[in-house]
Amino acid sequence: MAEYDQAKRELCFKLVYDGPALSGKTTNLIELCALIAADQRGEIMSLETSNDHTLFFDLLPVRFSAPSGLNICLKLFTVPGDSTLDSTRKAVLSRADGVVFVADSQRNRTTSNDQSFESLVNHAGKTGMALESMAKVVQFNKRDLPDVMSEKDMHTHWQASGWPLTFASAVDGTGVLETFTALVEQIYRQVDRRYSMSSKHGVSERSFVGAALGI
Amino acid sequence: MLKQFDRDLSLTDLLAVSEARLLVAVLAELLGAPLRILDLDDRTIAGVADGADDMAALITVPLTLQLNTVGFLQSPGPLPQVLAAAKLIDQVLRAGARYCMSADLHLETVRSDHQRLQDEHRALLASETRLRELSDGLDQRVNEQVRTIENSQRSLYQAEKLASVGQLAAGVAHEINNPLGFIRSNLNTARGYTKTLVALGALVKSDRGQAWVFWQAQDLTEVLVDFDELLAENIDGAERVSKIVSDLMVFASVDNDDTELLDLNENLRVVCNIAQGQAPADARIVVDLALLPLFECHANRINQVFLNLLLNALHAVQPGGEVQITSKFVGNEILIAFKDNGCGIPADNLSRIFDPFFTTRPVGAGTGLGLTVSRDIVRSYGGLLDVQSEPGVGTTAIIRLALPKA
Repeated sequence: MAEYDQAKRELCFKLVYDGPALSGKTTNLIELCALIAADQRGEIMSLETSNDHTLFFDLLPVRFSAPSGLNICLKLFTVPGDSTLDSTRKAVLSRADGVVFVADSQRNRTTSNDQSFESLVNHAGKTGMALESMAKVVQFNKRDLPDVMSEKDMHTHWQASGWPLTFASAVDGTGVLETFTALVEQIYRQVDRRYSMSSKHGVSERSFVGAALGI
Repeated sequence: MLKQFDRDLSLTDLLAVSEARLLVAVLAELLGAPLRILDLDDRTIAGVADGADDMAALITVPLTLQLNTVGFLQSPGPLPQVLAAAKLIDQVLRAGARYCMSADLHLETVRSDHQRLQDEHRALLASETRLRELSDGLDQRVNEQVRTIENSQRSLYQAEKLASVGQLAAGVAHEINNPLGFIRSNLNTARGYTKTLVALGALVKSDRGQAWVFWQAQDLTEVLVDFDELLAENIDGAERVSKIVSDLMVFASVDNDDTELLDLNENLRVVCNIAQGQAPADARIVVDLALLPLFECHANRINQVFLNLLLNALHAVQPGGEVQITSKFVGNEILIAFKDNGCGIPADNLSRIFDPFFTTRPVGAGTGLGLTVSRDIVRSYGGLLDVQSEPGVGTTAIIRLALPKA
């Protein structure tokens, strides 16, 4: 769960973009980086890539303040999707407060989506994360490509998982913000009561998301 | 304690002291002014110490990593150069962060992989142990099954044998009993007739006629005496046949497969009568039976045991040899022994005599099941069958049957 640093008056969240290889996790981060006001985010730190595959992780830190002066920090990570880097993926995922599962909408990627999702659930179990109660979103990316599964089929296919769905084409920025918003809203709901976000710090759900983006 | 790769990094995480000193020295040259790097608690990490004279008019610039202030750069100036120096240090810190995070992540991954390997290793060991236990158990279970099959095979054989003997005995007894009845009856009647003939002899003698001459010439008086003796012997023989037939029926106990309370001495006598015919010439069966309590068992089965042991003994003895059958009651046990002074059993064979199908007789002469079945039967009554032997001296088979505790 979110860490509160008394000395810095800072509440810090770890949000992880998970999903199969080449589904667009890093692209989501790059697009998000462009959408967030420059003074509230750091630079994307990409640790080694090989042929567009992330080898370690990408990191985009976002920082903003509540009217009360409370600092809020969101650390956005991507995992390496390649199944040969499974251990690294698990280590990056551990201690996450929220997860975006970036799936590839193309029909021929259905199996790799399913396998990757299964692996995510598995890792969450092993690292002691309670997925049921966590902030989470499935993003169906690459809607711009031909031969993608219909939204209706997607809903049917993923209904059982109980994860909220969003649709995106991250390469041109479509849906990236919606996904991020869907996740951050859940994060807000989880900490609102515990840290008196609205009553003590003057941050509503709407203003929280807006503040995160710097708009 | 493992450092988490995603923690907030401090200045000392990012910049080793020796690196910081080198960096400060180089920057001082470029700047043409002294400078120092401070951490968040205002401690000097590298550069000119606090209170130095030429640090009078200080410019302080924060050093940042990804929006986080991690320390400060202090220098008397000039400002643009100091700002540029801070940017340069920020770049160094970024590189440090990249290194630090990937190293810690790598370590975290390696540790968890190692942990997983150890867990898998433990699981493998556990499953190997379980497999070994299973395989050991399997061996044992196969052996048990083999024993069960052997036992049921023997029981089956024994049951078959008993049944066929029983049927044969019943058939023979029925067929023999009828003619034997009228033979005995006729013989007795014929013996009555000889008395009439003797009376006729007396009449012929007193007449002194031609008949008497013939009578004397044929020595009919002696003939009649001899005839009477012949008939008496025949009657005796017929009675023995009749006894054997009835013993055979008792032996086979065709009509009874339930346990009953038996005086085992009676069974020993019956078996002796049946086996008598198979004894070598002049071999004797000596019977020494003490009073026994009644014992509950199947007559046909215990007879089978006695017959097997007695026939074995008779097989072993030479003409003129001797088989002793003794019974006694000691403590709570009935002891029955068949002792012969025959050829004995070599030590090599003695350990195998109870093995199923072990026989030293020619093919077809023995099944090798006699002792095996006998011991099974004795054991089924909670008893023991033991064989002691010395080659050239003889063999003794002892049955011990404990009476059930009241």
